[in-house]
Formats: sequence, structure tokens, C-alpha cells
Amino acid sequence: MTWLSRFLGGQDASSRGLTARQAQSIAGWRHLPEPDPHRSHYRCRYVVVDVAATGSDVNVDRLRSIGAVAVVDGQIDFKDALQLAVADLAPARASPPAAGEEEGGRTATVDALIAFLGFVGKGRLVAYNAPFVERMIERALDESLGIRLGLQWMDLAWVLPDLWRQVDAGQGRLDAWLDHFGIDSMQRHDALSDAFATAQLLQVTLAQALRKGFETSASLAALEKARRHMHQSG
Amino acid sequence: MSNSATETLVSACIRFLRPYPPFDQMEAEALRFLAEHVRLAHYPKGARILSGEMGVARALYILQRGKVRAKSTPGLGSVESSSINLGPGQSFAIGALMAQRPTASSYVAREDVFCYELPADDFFALTQKSTVFNLFCTQHIAGLLKQSQQQLQLQFAQRAAEQKTMNSPLAAIVKREPVSVEAAVPIRQVVEMMAERHLGSMVVVDQQQVPVGIFTLSDVLKRIVLPGTPLEQPISSVMSAVPQTLLLAANAHDAALLMAMRGIRHVLAVDEGGRLRGVVSERDLFKLQGAGLRQIRHAIDAASSIEVLQHAREDVRQLSLTMLAEGVGAAEITQFISTLNDTVTRRIIELNLDRHDLYGIDWAWLSFGSEGRDEQTFTTDQDNGIVFICTDIMDRELTQLRFLEFARDVNADLDRCGFPLCKGNIMASNPDLCLTLEEWEDKFAQWVRTPEPQALLNATIFFDFRPLYGRFNLAHRMRLSLFRQTGGNPLFLRMLAQNALSVSPPLGRVRDFVTGGDPEHPGTIDLKKYGVRLFTDAARVFAMAHSVEATNTVQRLKRAAAAMHFSEDDLAASIEGFNFIQLLRLRHQHFEQEHGREGDNLIRPDALNEIERRILKEAFRQARKLQVRLKLDYQL
Repeated sequence: MTWLSRFLGGQDASSRGLTARQAQSIAGWRHLPEPDPHRSHYRCRYVVVDVAATGSDVNVDRLRSIGAVAVVDGQIDFKDALQLAVADLAPARASPPAAGEEEGGRTATVDALIAFLGFVGKGRLVAYNAPFVERMIERALDESLGIRLGLQWMDLAWVLPDLWRQVDAGQGRLDAWLDHFGIDSMQRHDALSDAFATAQLLQVTLAQALRKGFETSASLAALEKARRHMHQSG
Repeated sequence: MSNSATETLVSACIRFLRPYPPFDQMEAEALRFLAEHVRLAHYPKGARILSGEMGVARALYILQRGKVRAKSTPGLGSVESSSINLGPGQSFAIGALMAQRPTASSYVAREDVFCYELPADDFFALTQKSTVFNLFCTQHIAGLLKQSQQQLQLQFAQRAAEQKTMNSPLAAIVKREPVSVEAAVPIRQVVEMMAERHLGSMVVVDQQQVPVGIFTLSDVLKRIVLPGTPLEQPISSVMSAVPQTLLLAANAHDAALLMAMRGIRHVLAVDEGGRLRGVVSERDLFKLQGAGLRQIRHAIDAASSIEVLQHAREDVRQLSLTMLAEGVGAAEITQFISTLNDTVTRRIIELNLDRHDLYGIDWAWLSFGSEGRDEQTFTTDQDNGIVFICTDIMDRELTQLRFLEFARDVNADLDRCGFPLCKGNIMASNPDLCLTLEEWEDKFAQWVRTPEPQALLNATIFFDFRPLYGRFNLAHRMRLSLFRQTGGNPLFLRMLAQNALSVSPPLGRVRDFVTGGDPEHPGTIDLKKYGVRLFTDAARVFAMAHSVEATNTVQRLKRAAAAMHFSEDDLAASIEGFNFIQLLRLRHQHFEQEHGREGDNLIRPDALNEIERRILKEAFRQARKLQVRLKLDYQL
């Protein structure tokens, strides 16, 4: 009956000190319909996400901010973008903050993550080096809201080399691809800037995918899966 | 949803746009609005971003990265399509957006392209918010006008160049089907044929159409009349054998050389197989060289006979064509045609004065209608009259008879020189239009006092009078008297204004143009009735209301504008609109005449190119503005 209690915002939510409104928002998000993966790239909503963290070790470093930019029907609308700062909630802190400060930080973070859920909806998530982004976000969601996003991610780091086999993009770094397509980043390593640059990279990718016959996110997912498989077994 | 992320992205967009015109001049608030409402789109290399087939333009495109090739669709008669490259910071489809039409050009990405797209509704909101942007768009449209004029000029320059150069091949010079006979045909039949068809020469060919001889009018005297050759003999017995031929590919210069060397007046153009394809005469070559304005005027002034004037009239036409090609505006060309036509008319009057004694009488030759307004086009008939002073009332009948006789001769000569007799009998030889000063004044006063429909119609023709020959001060007195009449009779001007409003600009609510004006010519617009007339009628009312003596529409508008507090821009726009319609008329008439038809004023909007259609629409809007002013002024 866990799913029911979660749905009702029961003990799980209350145990994390969520307000009724916060719990309701989360429940609302859960019930959004799943997107149809067989729609054309130019008829669906992709959400490109990047994060800034205290470092690059998934197991040690903590999430600091999230940047997200939507690509809807192939276009970027500046009004459809999100930038969130996430307070560091790591229990292992050198000097524990005062109780009130702790409480305020927690509420702000919960609200930020709920805003993120609202922004993403059940859109198709895209990132460059998706596993890192995904784990950073999933952990924050788990710690603060006690939920899992559970959405499929498209990792451009895997998709790009397959669509442009002749391009040698260094060690598969984002910078190399941005350079190759002449896309400027406003401020590298800022979550929103990188998400915006990556969103433009996605636009280029979708056009090329369409040209090569991968017309839907499902077909790109299949492409990515095949490449991972080849890579891991080879 | 406005948040810090949006703020960051919008700021970045503003920073990108800021260095480029018109965004560099744009109000900060408007630029922010623009950046907030654009969407960033990507097009891969080779993608067609926008073209006419995609329907009405839905967004403004501002290039952010990459190059786009804009290729204009060739319009009516335009030589070829042109293409330009657009780069970052440049915008496109402004014209199509403003006119809410499909674009005339196609835009293709030459490499990976990112561009900001502003939806049409936001585009219009922006033109409202930003005067800088509005001005930019307006100037863009004005640029299109210039572009269209350049296109017209190019078109005519080509045609004129083809006609003028001595390098043109004979194939381009010979136009008519050659007339030829076979060697056995009797002389009588040949001469009859030549007389009937006004031919100066006849080519004699064998059964394969290869020329074997030529027979010219000058041979008739020397070889037939004087020796008394029987007319039943075959033409071969009197023709000049072994005619001079040139291949069709030879040029006019070759022909001139051959004529000079052999002392002949005709050269036969033949194809590869030696078959006759045409005759080039000395006169054809003369025409090629063209004539300048000064030579023409000189020729007209020195002309001693109607025959010489007939040629001069053709030269006037040729020269106006050249002027069209050189990019001279419609106002100047119509004025020029009027001026030279005046010169021809004056010379005809002078020639006739030798035969008619009008000595001692004060009189003036008047022109009416388009000639009176200095706005003649290629197709024009006579509209003239005479005013004279009769000191003794007893002499009036006799004096008028003398003028009528004189006028009949002048009218007939004008007809021979290419000014057809007026179907409505608006000619000096009409006793109703050959009047004393007092009679003219009475006539005008009568029309002004009783503005019934016929009187109003008359006003639109006769009130545009202008003296052409004789005592110009008589016309001035007529004008002053007319202003006295109209000044004291506001009802008349009101009726005249109402009359001017009886025809509306053919602008449609749904379609661009209303083309149903003439059931006999569906799909066309009569540019005289539904174009030029809208301007001339309005200008006439303005001129009469403000005692402007000028009869020319542009002059009338300019002089009345000051009194009516017209802004400079509004005035310039009206004149531009009027001139554009005149230019279209000139071009159309020229085209029609080149194809052997009588030049009419019926154009097909569908046959115009995109830019011309747009400008024509704007010209009609200007006419509507003048009409609105009339409505306001006269509470109609």
C-alpha cells in the first residue's frame, strides 16, 4: 500500500516535513501522462538539463544548481527555461547551521525541486553526459522529496558520435562539439548556459537525426542503446 | 513564465542583437519585447526556411548564425531572378509580413543556420511599440519600390539596347514577313500589290524562296513608264538581278556598309539555305541610330511639311522609350511627351497659319484633359479648343467661321501626325469649343452655377485647360474668371468632390484588388479610370478650392499641400503613388503597341510581380487617403 500512501501524501511525505501543497504538487506531477515516444521531434517537448555540482565525483559531490531549457516543436522559447539554486543539504557538513537556517534552506530546496518537476513534467529529458546529471538530480529528489524521477534520458554524448561518424570531437567533450558547430556558450560551467548551449546542440542533432531517418525519440533511444551495447561488449 | 533563466537568455539575445541595425537604434523597452518574444530555431544546410508556397508569412526571421541565400522569384518580364546572401543580424520577410502575403523570395540555409523567429502578431505589436522599428520596416518597403523601379529600368534598358545598337543582328531588325513574288508574275500584278500594301520594294524569288532579283518603286519610272514596257511582261524582265544578300546573323553595321558600297537602299536577309527571310531598308537602319531630344525638337521646329512631322512623332515615341530605359520617372516622361507633342502641335499650327489669315485677332489654342495637365501617355487623342477676342459683336459669326476653317485643317493634320481625332468631338473645329473669351466665361459660369452631371463631367475635362499657342494671357483671364465663379459657389466644389468620390480605389477586402470593374475584361483593372483619375480628380478639387492655377496633378498637389497642411511625407507618398500608376500605364501601353495593339489601360494584377503588386496596392491606398480628405473637407 506504499504507492497509495505516497499518492495521498501520507507518512512518507509528512515524515519529510512536506506541506500539503507541496505533497499535492508532487502527486499532480506523478499523474501526468507519459509522452508518446513515437512522435516526431518537431511535435514534442524535450527538456535539456544541465547541473552544476561541487565537483565531478557522483558519489561525493553535491548538486548546487540546475539549468533547464525546453525545445518545443524544435524551437527554443526563452520563456520556457528554468534556473534553480539548490541549497547544500549534505549531512556531513563541517559546521552544522542553526536550526532555523536549516529549515529555511530545506523548504527553499523542496520548492525548487518541485518547480523543477513542474517544468519537466513528463517531457523527454536530454543531457550531455546524462548519467552524471541524472544521478545528481535523482539523489536530490530522493533526499528532499523522497521520489524518483524515473524518466528516460537521452545522452547526446552517445548520440552525437553516431550521427556524425566522420567528426572527431576529441574525447567526446561537450566543448569540442560546441566548437564544431560554432555554438557559443554564454558562460561555460554555468548550469543554465550549458543547458542552453546543449539545447542548441539538440536542435542540430534533431535535424541530422531526421535526415538519417531517426524521426522520433524512440528511434534515437534505440540508436543510443545499440551504441552503448556495442561499446560495452566490444 | 518569467524567471531568472528567461532573464538571462533574453539578456543574451539583446546583447547579440544590439550591434546590428535597426536594433542598435531601437528603444530599450522595444528591444526587450522583441527578445522576450522570439524563438530560436535551427535549420540544417540546404533547408528551405521560407518560400512563397508556404503561404502567408507567419514570422519575422532574424539570422543569429550562418548564411541564408535569398532568391527572388522572377516577376513579369524581369530578366532573371537575383539572389543575395544574408548573414547574422539581418532580417527577412518584412515586406511579406507587412502585406500579410506569401513571400516573393525563397530563403534557403547555405550552412547550419540558427535564427530568431518573431511571430507575426508580436511583429505587428513591435511596429506599434517602436517607432525606430516601424521606420525601419517602412523604409524597407520603400527600398522595395526602388528595387522595382530598377527592375523596370533594367528591363527597358535591355529592350532599348537591343533596338538601338548597330551591332544587333538582322534577325532582330527585320520584323515583318517579307513579301515576295515569283519571276513569272506579270508586272501589273506586282505593281498593284506594291501600291495596295504601300511597299517600296518587291523581292523576286525562285521556287525555293531564294531571291533572284529585286524591284523597287524607283524602277517603275525608269524601266516601265519611260520605255513603255507592257504590263503583261513577267517581273523578271524589269527587276535588278543578283540582289545583295546578307545572312540573318550579320549585323546592322554590315548592312549599312553594303548599302554604302553598292549605292543601294535595300539589303535582303537570308537564312543558311539562302532563302529570303526579310528586307532591311536604309530607313530601318536610320531608326536604329535613334535621335536625341535636341535633334527631334530641331527637326520639328524646322519641319516644312506634315510628312516630316509624322516621322518626328515616331521619334518622340522612340525617345520616350529610351527615357523609360534610362530610369527617368513617369512624371518627367509624361511631361516630356506633352512638351514634344506641344512642339509638334505648335508647328502644325504655324504651318496652317500660312494658309489662314488670322492677323490682327487675339486668340489662343487651348488644350484640355490629359494634354492640358501635361500628363500624356503613348496613347492620346486630341482635346483642344480655341479662345478668341471679338471686339465688334457684328463680326463674331464671321470670325468664328475663319477660326473653324483653320481649326479643321489643324485637327486633320494632327490626326495625320498620330493624334487621332477626338471621338467625343472635343476639338477646336467644334463650334461649341471655338468661342470668344466672354463665351467661354459664360460657359464655365453656367457649369459652376448648375452642377448637373454633364456639367461636372465637362469640368473634369475643360477646367484643366492650358494655352498652347497664341495669346497666353487669354487663358490666364479665363482662369481668374473661373476662380471667381467657384470661389463664390461652395456647392459646386462640393458636387465636384462628390463626383471625384464616385469611383473608389479598387482595393478589395478579401482579395488585394477588385478586378470586376469592367465585365468585358475580367481580371483587369483600368488604370486610367480606377487609378490615375482618382488622383487627378482629387487634385482638381484641391486646386480649385485653393486657387492653384497649375493644371498638372503633381503640381496641383504640391501647391495645394501647403494651404491644406499636408505633411511632407503624405504629399511625397501621394505623388509617388500617382507616378507609379503612370509608370505602369506607360509600360503597359508601350508593350501593347509593340505587339501591334492599340494601347489601352487595362492591366492584370495577377501578371505583375510581387513587388509591383504590393506597390500598386500602396498607390491605391494613397488614392484612398486623398479621397478621405475630400470627404472630410466637404462632409461627404
